[in-house]
Amino acid sequence: MTEIELKNVSYIYSPDTPFRKVALDNVSLNIHGGVITGLMGHTGSGKSTLVSLLNGLNRPTSGQVLVGGEDVWADPKQVHRFAFKVGLVFQYPEYQLFEETVRRDISFGPRNMGLDEAEIARRVDEAASFCGLSPELLDKSPFDLSGGQKRRAAIAGVMAMEPEVLVLDEPAAGLDPRGREEILGGIRSYQRMRGSSVVIVSHSMEDMARYSDEIIVMDHAKVKMQGTTAEIFARADELKSVGLSVPQITELMNRIRERGIPVRGGIYTVEDARDELLRLISERRGRR
Amino acid sequence: MIKDITLGQYFPGNTILHRLDPRGKIILTILYIVVIFFAKNLWSFAAVIASAVFLTIISRISPKTLLKSMKPLIFVLAFTTFFNVFWTEGEVLLVKFWIIEIYLEGIIFAVMMIIRISALLVGTTIILTYTTSPIMLTDGLEQLLAPLRKIKLPVHEFSMMMTIALRFIPTLIEETDKIMSAQKARGADFTSGSLAKRAKALVPVLIPLFISAFRRADELATAMECRCYRGGEGRTRMNILHYSGRDTLAFIIMILFGAALILLNQIPSAISL
Repeated sequence: MTEIELKNVSYIYSPDTPFRKVALDNVSLNIHGGVITGLMGHTGSGKSTLVSLLNGLNRPTSGQVLVGGEDVWADPKQVHRFAFKVGLVFQYPEYQLFEETVRRDISFGPRNMGLDEAEIARRVDEAASFCGLSPELLDKSPFDLSGGQKRRAAIAGVMAMEPEVLVLDEPAAGLDPRGREEILGGIRSYQRMRGSSVVIVSHSMEDMARYSDEIIVMDHAKVKMQGTTAEIFARADELKSVGLSVPQITELMNRIRERGIPVRGGIYTVEDARDELLRLISERRGRR
Repeated sequence: MIKDITLGQYFPGNTILHRLDPRGKIILTILYIVVIFFAKNLWSFAAVIASAVFLTIISRISPKTLLKSMKPLIFVLAFTTFFNVFWTEGEVLLVKFWIIEIYLEGIIFAVMMIIRISALLVGTTIILTYTTSPIMLTDGLEQLLAPLRKIKLPVHEFSMMMTIALRFIPTLIEETDKIMSAQKARGADFTSGSLAKRAKALVPVLIPLFISAFRRADELATAMECRCYRGGEGRTRMNILHYSGRDTLAFIIMILFGAALILLNQIPSAISL
């Protein structure tokens, strides 16, 4: 249940050149342990930069990043330890595959951790099954897999390190609905089984509504909103003001309410919407 | 990390140097290199330094960036200085120790060489690469080399290859950075261990990098064919280069600078080559 805390973190790209760009501006936030946190924001709002600070890949220009209460940059020589604590899956991770077989590629991370062969084998099998990779795929070349399978193999490569916090940058980008479902569903079952913390960066409101417990909204290098999924999607107008939207089902319920039917706010899944509408209908019948 | 490489990078701006015709700039750069080698004594070397400072000022590129870009040259400079100091024989002996003899002439020669090489780098990078976008540069080069088409040299293809290569350098650097970050996140270690171990650590970076370079090449070829690219035959350009008054002015200044160096060489000076 590792928490991540950011204290007054700023990050500036290429300082002192004409290309200077402030990517994070005095950001403070808490990423809670044991839940799936969705990180949302418009393109260029600083999401990917934020993610690169969580495992010590980049050093904040100012401020502190605390993982489980420990300052990542307290000792710069020890910063690589945090790569194992906070597993980071980049955008389009399928382009990092390089080994001869899928199994060897997934075991690259665990092997770098210095684990013994039996433990590596256990972790590879477990991560592969979370990511829906069948055992016969493990002995194929990663370059013979389909796009979605490659993506899942790359995610399994980080999952197999069993990090305390798993961070994924746009894990479902560019996939069809079924591919998205397979990946995000796998991540959720991994999180529920292991009880670890997960951060997912995403553009998709529908995906965030289905899979995240808490949401952080970024806008122009700052944190704009933070709260549970229900709290965030109840603030539709604010989301629209930062160039985001609410899930279609939330939009539908909001419009129904505008027409004068008293449905409650903060509904973001089709199941909740169905229950709410059925409740209202049975109430009306009861009154008659 | 890798992104810090600034040598040969273009800095967008709107100074007079940025607005010069790239064809003229290529010739000016060659002239500048030739003219710098005219310098023979203290006065003309002072003029060379002044010209480099002048270029830096009008280009509005920060001296800090410039110095940073010269870092890779330190080795070359140290190397030539070493040879010049220890292997030049002259009349004024400064140090004699065992088989080492250092002459005043050697030191003077070394200092002048440093000035020459630095001015060469500063001048060429400022006139050409820092203030000319790669596209303008290859456009200019293509038109300058156009006469070679008469002897059946594929000038257009050559310049298209240059354009593509230049265009993809930043992309590939970014890609390398991304893949290295991804492998670091999986615990790869590129900075410690023996040379062999470090070379081996690069395999997880090089394989994905090559695969993506081939993929990009394929995609680019398809995209170009889809837009009916058929080589240089009958191809018109979007940006037509204009030679204007300021280009003539630049040439006049360069010729005057060369003449000034020759004149300054005539002034008697204690230090000369």
